[in-house]
Amino acid sequence: MSTVADSPMTVAEFRSSLQSWLADHDLTPAPDHSLAGHIEQMGRIRREMYDAGWMRYGWPSEVGGLGGPATLRLVVAEEVLGRNLAEPGPYSMMEVLVPTMISYARPELAAEMVPRYLRGEETWCQGFSEPGSGSDLASLSTKATPDGDNWVINGQKVWTSFAQFSQRCVLLTRTGSADTPKHQGITAFFVDLDSPGVSVRPLRTMHGVDEFCEVYFDDVVVPGDRMLGKPGDGWQLANDLLPFERSTCFWQRIAYLFTRMDRLLTDAPDASDAEIGAAYLALHTVRCKSAETQRRFADGAKLGAETSIDKVLLAGAEQRLYDTARDLLPGVLELDETPWRSEFLYSRAATIYGGTAEIQRNIIARRLLDLGKE
Amino acid sequence: MDDGELGMLADTLHKTMSAAAAAETPNVEEALAELGWLEMLDEIPYESTALVFRLLGETGTHAGVLNDVVLHAAGRPGGGTVPLPFTGGRWVLWERTDHHGTAVDGELPIRTTGAGEQVPLAEGRRALGWWLAGSARAMLVLARRHALDRVQFGRPIASFQAVRHRLAETLVAIEGAESTLRAASDDLGCLLAKAAAGQAALTAAKHCQQVMGGIGFTAEHDLHRHVKRVMVLDGLLGSARELTGEAGAAVRALGRAPRLANL
Repeated sequence: MSTVADSPMTVAEFRSSLQSWLADHDLTPAPDHSLAGHIEQMGRIRREMYDAGWMRYGWPSEVGGLGGPATLRLVVAEEVLGRNLAEPGPYSMMEVLVPTMISYARPELAAEMVPRYLRGEETWCQGFSEPGSGSDLASLSTKATPDGDNWVINGQKVWTSFAQFSQRCVLLTRTGSADTPKHQGITAFFVDLDSPGVSVRPLRTMHGVDEFCEVYFDDVVVPGDRMLGKPGDGWQLANDLLPFERSTCFWQRIAYLFTRMDRLLTDAPDASDAEIGAAYLALHTVRCKSAETQRRFADGAKLGAETSIDKVLLAGAEQRLYDTARDLLPGVLELDETPWRSEFLYSRAATIYGGTAEIQRNIIARRLLDLGKE
Repeated sequence: MDDGELGMLADTLHKTMSAAAAAETPNVEEALAELGWLEMLDEIPYESTALVFRLLGETGTHAGVLNDVVLHAAGRPGGGTVPLPFTGGRWVLWERTDHHGTAVDGELPIRTTGAGEQVPLAEGRRALGWWLAGSARAMLVLARRHALDRVQFGRPIASFQAVRHRLAETLVAIEGAESTLRAASDDLGCLLAKAAAGQAALTAAKHCQQVMGGIGFTAEHDLHRHVKRVMVLDGLLGSARELTGEAGAAVRALGRAPRLANL
């Protein structure tokens, strides 16, 4: 296969050569619809597409990548998610975890670990939220205490996606003393989840997919060389994720929602023009907005508060799509075993995860409209 | 025309139109003609239309330039009038005079007329979308200023979350609509952009009116001019409601949701 990093292959050529590769390689998921099945399928996609090169484009060579612009990763995501070969949730984790490792892990650690993740040999998770720290993430209290060359971690995380399948976790902890300002007392570690003292308990959620976990840390010893960045860099690390979440992750989610819109057109042929039109208009609007964000990010712009607009548009479009599906498929979600049921229920969280709709509006009011303090 | 020249043109237009608004002579038909509007429309149709129509909205001025955009798209000479379809199967004529009309926004020299010939709609819809977005921005500026200045319970009402969130929602709607306008290049894209812009302007009208309370309901404050204007602009060449339905029909006929914005 020719490599776009070395030759002047355009994005369109990259896409068409990926499309022909996908036509020749059957990656259709097995009929196992369990969460474990989704994770296994995700691993299979990563492995086969890493070995063929596709999963390596858009990442730097230092971590096993083949280089080229991040747009190439978006093309791969669109083609994979557009064919429903993988679930969007596990897929998009890559876009926050890998850039974090590239920016904050020691180079040797990133070079050792990232290829394992990209090749689907390992699953990782992100331990940020705590029972007492949701919207107010900076108040987190999971404690890391220095002990010689090691750190000892105690505390609890919650809403940690896929922790039960993960080998490692990017974990935010509280360090420093009682008078360290709260944003400067946060430190990140890359923790092996098979360490003694770690226990993982999946949460039962209303949509029936036990993706989210509680993770308990009881005197867990982590070597100092697993710290990501320096002590106190954790808040910056969390903020540095945002541009990736708001660009590439969102684009992937939008690509996925368009496939669900297509599905709805098939499943509800007698739909009303008005309802389909409104759902489509909302999706089209966030797609247009997000496309501009991707281009700005690709051109080196620093993404910030303005992406709260993308977040509000996306959450609104997602909930509208599934509200429309429920309206246009009367009785189906309630009475039949259909993927629409779980997806509808999951969409209720779209205005909660990743910063609630209210937090986004607070940011827009303060930072974009300059309305002063509340 | 490069970016620098376009920026200078934007400055000139902005100054001229703001001055007209300040002088309470909001009909800028002649001023635009003097600045070479028809030549601009010939040479840089997309940029000049987006610029002029957005500024009409932002400054609260008006001109019958929608006629020119529609005529230009039809390959006909500009400067005159052409019957324009309005929502509800109605037709209107937007005259190139300084007379007041009978529409809800009485400043506009618009009157109803009999059915005209079919005309190309995409360019006119995109142009109106920019005007609606500009009007929405003008309302947001007024409401933001009011929220910061108006003190109740001993503090500016901008400090109350209920007020902040309405203004935030307004900005979200406007920014989303502007993205669809920049992406609009074909018939469906222009239709969607006009729908998004109409919806954004109506959202802005609702939230800004509410934030402004009593003063926004008086004729002495400017808000009502923008509110009435977007009602008329939304109806021209298809309302947000109608166009959303048309988009739904198009998507249903295709059996697939077109991905119009791509990387």
